[in-house]
Amino acid sequence: MKVLLVDDSGTMRTIQKRCLNKLNVNDIVEAEDGVQALAAFETGTFDIVLSDWNMPNMDGLSLLKEIRQRNTTIPVIMITTEAERARVVLAIQAGVSDYLVKPFTPDGLREKLERWVGCNV
Amino acid sequence: MSAAVIASATSRITAEYVNPVIAATRTVFSTMLGATANRTGLSLRTEAALSSGTSSGVSAVIGISGQAAGTLVLNLTTSTAIEVLRRLIGTEARDVNAEVCDAVGEITNMIAGHAKAQLAKYSLSISIPNVVSGADHTVHFPSNVIPMVLSFDSDLGPFTIEVGFSNLPVG
Repeated sequence: MKVLLVDDSGTMRTIQKRCLNKLNVNDIVEAEDGVQALAAFETGTFDIVLSDWNMPNMDGLSLLKEIRQRNTTIPVIMITTEAERARVVLAIQAGVSDYLVKPFTPDGLREKLERWVGCNV
Repeated sequence: MSAAVIASATSRITAEYVNPVIAATRTVFSTMLGATANRTGLSLRTEAALSSGTSSGVSAVIGISGQAAGTLVLNLTTSTAIEVLRRLIGTEARDVNAEVCDAVGEITNMIAGHAKAQLAKYSLSISIPNVVSGADHTVHFPSNVIPMVLSFDSDLGPFTIEVGFSNLPVG
C-alpha cells in the first residue's frame, strides 16, 4: 500500500501520517500542493491519494481532475474544511472517492482511512 | 454613524456572521485540541482602538471572498500558540517557529472553513492563511471595515478572533 499524501500544512500531514502508520501503512509520499503531488503521481505508482482542497499553486479539486484524466480507478480521498454541499457536489462530479471534513476526531480519521487501507491491518 | 445605527448593525452582524464564527471556534477547539473555548467578550474594534490595536504572539489571517468580502484573524499569545502545536501533534516548541505558525494557520483555516459552511448561502471562499508573529504587530483591516472582536478563554489560554466584512449583503 503506497499513499500519496497531499496537504500544504505539515501539521496535518503529520497527523494523517501517524494515523496511517498505526494502520501499518508506512510507504507514504508527501506533497505540499497539487503541483508537487501531480509530479509525484506521474513518476510513481500509488494505491491511494489523500488530498486537501485549499492549497497554493494547484488546489485539491484541480489535482483530482488531473488525476482522473490519468487514472479513473485509484481511490482519491479529500480531507478538507470545504463542507458546503455545493463543494462536495463539485468533488463528486470530479470523481472523488470519499470525503472527510476538517475538523475531525482521531476516531473519525482512523475509521475513514481504515476503510480504504484496511487490508493492511 | 449614530450609536443606534451601530447597535442595529452590530446586532445583525452578530446574528448572521459572528455566531457561526463562535460556533466554529468552539467546534474546532473541542475536536482538534480537546479544549473548551468560552467567549468572554464581544466588541467593535473602533477607530480609537485601531490606533492602539497592536497584538502580541501569533496572528493568522484569512481572507474571505464571495457575496460577503472580509477578513478573519485569530490571535494567540505565544504560549497558547505553542500549546496548539503540542496538542495537535505532541511537539514541544520552545518559541514560535515554523511548526507553531503552521499549526495556528491550520486551526484558523478550520475555523474559517467551518464558519463558511454555515454561511453557504453567500457562496464564500477562503484564502490560504497568512501567519504573522512578534511582540508588537498590527493586522490592518480596510478603512471601511469595523471588525468585531471576539474574546475567548480556553484550556490553552486566552485568545481573540477579529472578523470584519466590507460589503455585507442586506439580510
